[in-house]
Amino acid sequence: MTLTYMNIMLAFTISLLGMLTYRSHLVASLLCLEGMMMSLFIMATLIASNMHFPLINIMPIILLVFAACETAVGLALLISISNTYGLDYVHNLNLLQC
Amino acid sequence: MAYILFTLSVLLVMGFVGFSSKPSPIYGGLALIISGVVGCVIVLNCGGVYMGLMMFLVYLGGMMVVFGYTTAMAIEEYPETWGSGLEVLGGLLVGLMMEVMLVLWVLSLDEAVVVVVGFSDTGDWVIFEGEGSGLIRGDSIGAGALYDYGRWLVVVAGWTLFVGVYVVIEIVRGN
Repeated sequence: MTLTYMNIMLAFTISLLGMLTYRSHLVASLLCLEGMMMSLFIMATLIASNMHFPLINIMPIILLVFAACETAVGLALLISISNTYGLDYVHNLNLLQC
Repeated sequence: MAYILFTLSVLLVMGFVGFSSKPSPIYGGLALIISGVVGCVIVLNCGGVYMGLMMFLVYLGGMMVVFGYTTAMAIEEYPETWGSGLEVLGGLLVGLMMEVMLVLWVLSLDEAVVVVVGFSDTGDWVIFEGEGSGLIRGDSIGAGALYDYGRWLVVVAGWTLFVGVYVVIEIVRGN
């Protein structure tokens, strides 16, 4: 496994761990989701360049399109939470009390 | 200079640790922008000029700007940075220490990488050049094939973006 690929996969794993742990803000997890999408984009582009297979370049572009949709919906949810509770603190989301 | 790609990927991991240690989101956005710039330079180093430009325009110029002013709407008065509080600093230091140990372990190996072709000591930026005109960029051709072989995918993606705008409006409208 090439060292660069290993580092990019490590970056993906670090962002995944950052997304799964909550501290106080919800938008920090959305930022980690963006980091995951970015590391996937970089990985796919590097594979497309190093394998001399230009048709793979379609995949990162489409990934970026759907990541933009996902960001928009995530931020819209954040805005509606922020309109209801004032801030996007995670401990405000207590409707499902178990 | 042979290890420039590896150095940039190490900087990418450090930038990712910077926002995964969960400081206040405005500092996380700053770390994500820096990581995006480093990632774009990685893509450029491998010859992907069009993909790097697209990442700069769409990702950093579009999505990060939206993140920036959304975060500005939902921020508290004293945002915590990497040095304030032990959780963020501890996470950052653990991540950096892990990356430093990985770099030291990798540099202590005798041979660099042996994948399919053995690139012993030339780093991993060697892309073999075929003969040809040299004026046809691979990634532009590949991205252009999106509108040829993937025309239905373009229609679906465009429709998804269009419906996504309506979804966002409906969510934000509230009641």
